[in-house]
Amino acid sequence: MSATLLVILTLLPLAGAAVLALRPEGQARTVALWTTLLALGAAGVAMVQFRWDHGADMQGVGRLEWAPSLGLSLSVGADSVAMLLIGLTALLGPICVYASFTAIEHRRRTYYGWLLVLQSAMTGVFCARDLVLFYTCFEFTLVPMYILISLYGSTNRKKAATKFFLYTFTGSVLTLAGLLFVVWFNATQLVPTDGPGAGKWTFDIGALQHAAVRMSSGQQAWVLAAMMAGFAVKVPLFPLHTWLPLAHTEAPTAGSVILAGVLLKLGTYGMYRFVLPFVPSAVVEYAPFLAVLCIMGIVYAGLICWVQEDVKKLVAYSSVSHLGFCILGMVALNQIGLAGSVLYMVNHGLSTGALFLLIGMMYERYHTRSMREVGGLAAKMPIWATFMVFFAMASVALPGLNGFVSEFMCLMGAFQADSEFVRAGQVGATRGVLGPVYAAVAGTGIIVAAMYLLMMVGKMCFGPLREPHAHHAHESHAPPVLPPDLSAREIVILLPLAALCLVLGLYPRPVLQTLEAPTTRAVDWVWEHAGVRGAPLAPQGGRP
Amino acid sequence: MNSGSIIPVLNLLAAGAEEGHASAGPVAHGPWWVALIVVLPMLGAMLCGAAAALKVRSKLPAFLTVGLLGASCALAVSMYLELAGGRSITVSYRWIDFAWGTGEGQRLVANFGFYIDSLTCLWMLFVTGLATLIALYASEYMSHDQGVGYCRFFAAFNLFVFSMACLVMGDNLLLLYLGWEGVGLCSYLLIGYFYKRPAAVAAAKKAFIVNRIGDLALALGTMLAFVHFGSVEYAVIFAKAQPYIEAIKSGHLDQVPFVVQVIPLLFMVGAFGKSAQLPLYVWLPDAMEGPTPVSALIHAATMVTAGVYLIARTYPIFLCSEYALPVVAWVGALTALLAATIGMAQFDIKRIMAYSTVSQLGYMFAGLAFLSSAGAAYHVFTHAFFKATLFLCCGAVMHGFAGQLDLRKLSGVAFMKGWGIVGLAMLIGCLNLAGVPFTAGFFSKDMILAESFVTMGPGYQVLGWVLLLTAGLTAYYTFRVFFRVFVGPKTFEPGDELHAHDDHGHDAHGHDSRGDAHAEAEHGPAGHAAPGHGHDFHPHAPGWAINLVLLILAAASIAAALPYFMGEHGGWVPKLVHESSATTISDGHGSTAAFLASGLHEPGASAHGTLFGQDPHKIMYYVSGAIGAVGIAIAFVLHYAGRKTAGTSRADALVPALGPVAGWARRKWLVDELYDALVRTPLWVLSHVFHLIDKLLIDGLVNLFGWLPRAAAQRLRPTQGGDLHGYAAGMAVGLGAVLILVWMLIL
Repeated sequence: MSATLLVILTLLPLAGAAVLALRPEGQARTVALWTTLLALGAAGVAMVQFRWDHGADMQGVGRLEWAPSLGLSLSVGADSVAMLLIGLTALLGPICVYASFTAIEHRRRTYYGWLLVLQSAMTGVFCARDLVLFYTCFEFTLVPMYILISLYGSTNRKKAATKFFLYTFTGSVLTLAGLLFVVWFNATQLVPTDGPGAGKWTFDIGALQHAAVRMSSGQQAWVLAAMMAGFAVKVPLFPLHTWLPLAHTEAPTAGSVILAGVLLKLGTYGMYRFVLPFVPSAVVEYAPFLAVLCIMGIVYAGLICWVQEDVKKLVAYSSVSHLGFCILGMVALNQIGLAGSVLYMVNHGLSTGALFLLIGMMYERYHTRSMREVGGLAAKMPIWATFMVFFAMASVALPGLNGFVSEFMCLMGAFQADSEFVRAGQVGATRGVLGPVYAAVAGTGIIVAAMYLLMMVGKMCFGPLREPHAHHAHESHAPPVLPPDLSAREIVILLPLAALCLVLGLYPRPVLQTLEAPTTRAVDWVWEHAGVRGAPLAPQGGRP
Repeated sequence: MNSGSIIPVLNLLAAGAEEGHASAGPVAHGPWWVALIVVLPMLGAMLCGAAAALKVRSKLPAFLTVGLLGASCALAVSMYLELAGGRSITVSYRWIDFAWGTGEGQRLVANFGFYIDSLTCLWMLFVTGLATLIALYASEYMSHDQGVGYCRFFAAFNLFVFSMACLVMGDNLLLLYLGWEGVGLCSYLLIGYFYKRPAAVAAAKKAFIVNRIGDLALALGTMLAFVHFGSVEYAVIFAKAQPYIEAIKSGHLDQVPFVVQVIPLLFMVGAFGKSAQLPLYVWLPDAMEGPTPVSALIHAATMVTAGVYLIARTYPIFLCSEYALPVVAWVGALTALLAATIGMAQFDIKRIMAYSTVSQLGYMFAGLAFLSSAGAAYHVFTHAFFKATLFLCCGAVMHGFAGQLDLRKLSGVAFMKGWGIVGLAMLIGCLNLAGVPFTAGFFSKDMILAESFVTMGPGYQVLGWVLLLTAGLTAYYTFRVFFRVFVGPKTFEPGDELHAHDDHGHDAHGHDSRGDAHAEAEHGPAGHAAPGHGHDFHPHAPGWAINLVLLILAAASIAAALPYFMGEHGGWVPKLVHESSATTISDGHGSTAAFLASGLHEPGASAHGTLFGQDPHKIMYYVSGAIGAVGIAIAFVLHYAGRKTAGTSRADALVPALGPVAGWARRKWLVDELYDALVRTPLWVLSHVFHLIDKLLIDGLVNLFGWLPRAAAQRLRPTQGGDLHGYAAGMAVGLGAVLILVWMLIL
């Protein structure tokens, strides 16, 4: 896979947005759909060309010198983790566009234009190999999302959009400070003999990674705090999550899908790309603290889901709960947890994205999200209800569907990450600072998930049919745009997601195999540079 | 009668000790076609799903299901003939495989592979066989719902058999977990089949959530097993558990690490969830909201025995633990007693059967814990047939009497025209459940009961008496149903629904009564089943499919006694069990397990316990036979002799004498209310508190931080409004950030 392909992947949606701006309003949908399909095709080509058996290596590396004296350049490259997320982004692109065909009736050019810009920015984050490109794209995702929410959201959209923007932006500024500190440290505190790129101004992630681990543990702790300020808000990690339910609830359907599917993953990806490699000794030190936050989020947000009436808010809170598992797997600091965490990023995007799509389809018909007003829809929308049950089961981590593999691996990672176990000679344990207790407490999340998701399915799909009173009046006045049950377009939107949920649930092996190398590299890096806390154990588990 | 068969287990144990541990033998590569046993039901599920999408309105899905499951059953028979006795693994494809090193325990492998030994064969034989028969029954039973609902039913039915096959045949704990949760999903979908009924939806949800509690324990146990053994595959685990078993045999319990002792405790909780034992049994009675074929197959014969299977499958690990089996014994016996007392006081015949299932499962667990895995498995086997028969008879009654299940409103059903076969099958089922001598249920229950007095364990003698008492109660409540509903004066009051599911019907095309008309045409002028209740209602007797299945199952229930006499040492089932991983370890005296080696009793000090100074194996036949007879006699006196109406009997006079106890038993000892008060309500309150905290405290702090700069900014910025003002502000801030960056660089 060449660097050109990655650049094309990044810029193609942007070019589409430019074309769209020049074309009349009526063609906006078509242009957007073809652009995203083209991008999906390009992503397909990239994924075919990508050498998955060398998943740990950066592939498609390319560098465009911009201002060498300042160390400024634009460089791209992707390992298998990035590639998976690029694929997810490209897949959700056309789905979001196609899902908006009937929902967005006014100012289509603006809408689809910003949607395409957003896709460019997100892809850019995953392709970036230097801080400038990464951070620019990372921050720039805020603008299109802000506009999508504030212009096309529901009643409380202004407040939600502002809160989303300011909250995440504030966090990101701190992240920037942390990252810049590393740049400064590399340029001024190190000398060229310390390593490649040391002693000069550079924004290259690979070079900075070598520099960052030379920071003292005190410095690392501060950098960890700064980076987590941005990434944890983005994820979102308890207790920094309150922007999310509001933003999700108010956002248009496609906005919610992208938010849950990809934007949240920018935080987890940021942790994978920066937090683990840059500040290993701080991560090892604070992993239990982060894990406790994850577990609190899993249980706390899960229980809040259980008492929601607004179905969209329920799914939004469920993201907080779910991503707790994802981060828990990551801070387990072993391969199984990390691979589970990466897989969780993809799986959560598929299943929660699909749940938001389904809720959007329901909303287009009934114009309410309250489970008090609408419910029992299996009687009227059997196809919709079938998909709802399916994706709820994927979300509840039913084995055989995608969620299970990643959730089990995250919990398993936390469970076995116990250095005491290793000392006691338990062959299946790995180095780590968590342990069975963390996994057991976090595991209660799978019971809570069943509670709230089945409550949702029970109310939305089953029981006697309940429709809002205004609904019939609405139907009689306006000619029905949508059939009572799902249209062919809507089924086409959902089918690829459902198929992927099944495939990743029943045959996750190819993905797991390509994750073996990068996770091993990342975990070994962490423990090699973790300092004293990692030292007492003999190195365990060489590279396969 | 073979007198040697009276002491079945001991001899086998001795034989097993000579041959060494059966599960320690070599593992062969199995043939590819065993995968078809799993694949065919999956294919059926997909075809039924396709039929639903194509809106097929015939009985095609049912006969497709019967055909595919029948083929699966034939393959299971062939698997038994070829592979029973040995151990083989067939890997169909690699499911989860993740390595982080090359050393031991650095690779998580969970293949879609199938571990075939005699235990697998035993379970698959009755699972596929019963599934085929019950699918045939359901083809008629569900015929009022032909259309999408019919397809949906059979799709879930097939999916269930697929999941159950994965659970039983899986060669690793993760595939077992897949089947474990898969049967839970199908149970959820099928309990909630009448999805417009809130009670059915609530019951389905309850079943899934309560099961999830057990599932979590099972998942944690799997993780711990991996951490200790470095694998989740049975073959590896058994091989690595072998030294611990050897150590226990020689009395060195201290050589078994603590971790290994914890694993079975976690598995046990999972088993209690799936098999409806204390404290997680509450979902099973509610699960009776599902269609009766589902209750028969899933909630009586197969799925609920998954917990027994789990313990039997991982028996080597259970034997390593000092505490696991005694806990299982106490939980099983107490569940058996508790459920029986509740069952005595219920009026809904299907619920009575549900409580009796819980109770009988308690016997099976107790059997496992009394080191009689053979007895437990045999009881699973016989129970599968006679309980399926009982449920299907109840279903036929429900089908024919417009959903009537109240034993106070039906009487003399067996003597009505066209109901003879149902009555006969019911009688056979009841005789088995009550443990009347020379029935299959009698032999299998006695194997467990006798062992409770033989095996040395904490309080096992007491548990033996508890189980004997329960056997009497069982005989009473079983025949209470029979004497009230099936014999006596012929009267009835129809239920309030034409088919118990009349309010259902998700396809708006109206009620389709072709199936009923068909059934009536065959059985004479039974009257027209008008949707109205009352005077013009005539029960319609079951058609050929239901009668045929009942006959086969009744015959199978009787025939299930035959394996007891096949071969030496307690028959065919014990032989299968002892060829598998579920065999007990023995020093020749029959009761050496971890909890005995722990010093409670000196191994070998006493060969085994006694009952009335006799060998329990010899005397138990008479004791339990007498107790069962007493139970039936009491039921006869209270519910049959001199009864003139359906609604009243002599038992009514006894109720006031019992005081509030009868009412408590009827209200299931208020366990549901207790759980509500202790678990659900506190959680609900806590959730609302969390929601408030989230809104007011956490978000409030955020808003406070947000408000401070905005308050300042609002003074600085005179213009408000305009769609994009926030965006502009954002861009400005963003630009500022870039400027800061550049500024920092230049410095």
